[in-house]
Amino acid sequence: MGRIVRTYESKLRRACVWASRVVVLCLFSTVLNAQTPVPAPETERPVPILTGNAGFFTNFNGGQTELVPSITPVLLVPLGDRWLVESRAEFTGEFERPDEGGSYRGKVEQEIDYLQLDYIANRYLTITAGRFLTPFGIYNERLYPIWIRSLQPTPLIFPLGTGSSDGAMLRGGFSLNPKVNLNYATYFSTLSTVNKFESDRTAGGRLGFFLPGPRIEAGASFQKELQDERSHAFGFHFAWQPTPLPLNLRSEYVRSHDGSGYWIEAAYRLSQVPFWQKALRRTEVVGRAQQLFAGQITEEEAEEYGLPDVNTRQGDFGLNYYLRDGLKAAASYSRRLNSDGNVNLWTVGIAYRFAFPLGRMSPQ
Amino acid sequence: MKCRNESPTMKMATIKIKITILTAGLVMGSVVYAAAPPHNSENASLAVPVAHSSAEADAMRIHGEQRYRANCGRCHAAPQKFPPRMMATIVRHMRVRATITDEDVRLVLFYMSQ
Repeated sequence: MGRIVRTYESKLRRACVWASRVVVLCLFSTVLNAQTPVPAPETERPVPILTGNAGFFTNFNGGQTELVPSITPVLLVPLGDRWLVESRAEFTGEFERPDEGGSYRGKVEQEIDYLQLDYIANRYLTITAGRFLTPFGIYNERLYPIWIRSLQPTPLIFPLGTGSSDGAMLRGGFSLNPKVNLNYATYFSTLSTVNKFESDRTAGGRLGFFLPGPRIEAGASFQKELQDERSHAFGFHFAWQPTPLPLNLRSEYVRSHDGSGYWIEAAYRLSQVPFWQKALRRTEVVGRAQQLFAGQITEEEAEEYGLPDVNTRQGDFGLNYYLRDGLKAAASYSRRLNSDGNVNLWTVGIAYRFAFPLGRMSPQ
Repeated sequence: MKCRNESPTMKMATIKIKITILTAGLVMGSVVYAAAPPHNSENASLAVPVAHSSAEADAMRIHGEQRYRANCGRCHAAPQKFPPRMMATIVRHMRVRATITDEDVRLVLFYMSQ
């Protein structure tokens, strides 16, 4: 009986491998034959771009001053009408004055956030392979760059479920009807210990709805860890930009083995204030409330992930001044409350977004 | 032969096959659906849409601005307009990053290329 079961298992495994191969072959042949795009005219052909952001921030963290210069280049290389190679690297310095005095010392952290190949198969599906930002919630993929984020300190729950993954992803967005857009992302990530390409073996996805009329977005994310504790995480996100107001409301909730929590943020541009228009229309005030419930992890693991190891509450207040396109000055104050001791966190600095073409802008 | 007490390995393999078939079904379904002729007369071009009259161009510009504010404004402040070839790359990047719909990408590209 045992031998029969083993033979059956072996056959099943082989069938699984062959089924996967057939599916991959079918998928690519079908996708390649699905639509033949009409090529864009030469004057509108996409050109490779070097974009990204640079910034310099000073953090005052419980009496310790830290200088944080950073540069995050993003390389975008379109290939033909449907392919895109995109990559983002991150170089962040962390310099502090030693306790015994002297000049600032520290190190520069280097990360490859993503290095991926995208194939826009059709209006419903984009296939991505390589290293990509884990599609969990909205902060990691869309709000993380320093020129975009409204408050420079990342939310307490940011490390939960996010980061980068090595593997493949299917994603897309399309209209269900004129009032509702649906977007989705599903992925599989393999375990990698390669330097700068570390990732966990996970699978997961995100499903979201966007109502273009009232500008409301809501969605849910799920992640299953396929190693170690084989734990799972889930989260919800919500965003609303009410049409009559220059107000941006965003929120995320996460529940996972490593911790749980939420953040709620409101950013209000003072463009409707009837006085000092010249200055106030460029000014944005931001507030955020957040809470983290520590998970079942050790103090060392919490430090490694960048999470507080005890239950924490935090309030953040910020002021952004948009000097010109892509250039903003930002300042924020945060009050962190937990059993390790309450601390004040101040941040002040400047962020700049750049974009340069890497090719001719007009045909010869 | 049907085994009632399947081992964990067999269960896992069965689940994997089911997931593979489901994913393949979803992908092929979307591909077949996409390969069908679109409801309107637009072809599958990824170029900046062409307006056939000034009235149509105005309407597309208005729609483009609305889509731009609704989609791009979800995350960041309005950037300046870039040359059309740069915009074509940027919207392709944002289509993937922010899962913007095909129609919104076309209208935003039209608006941002004017």
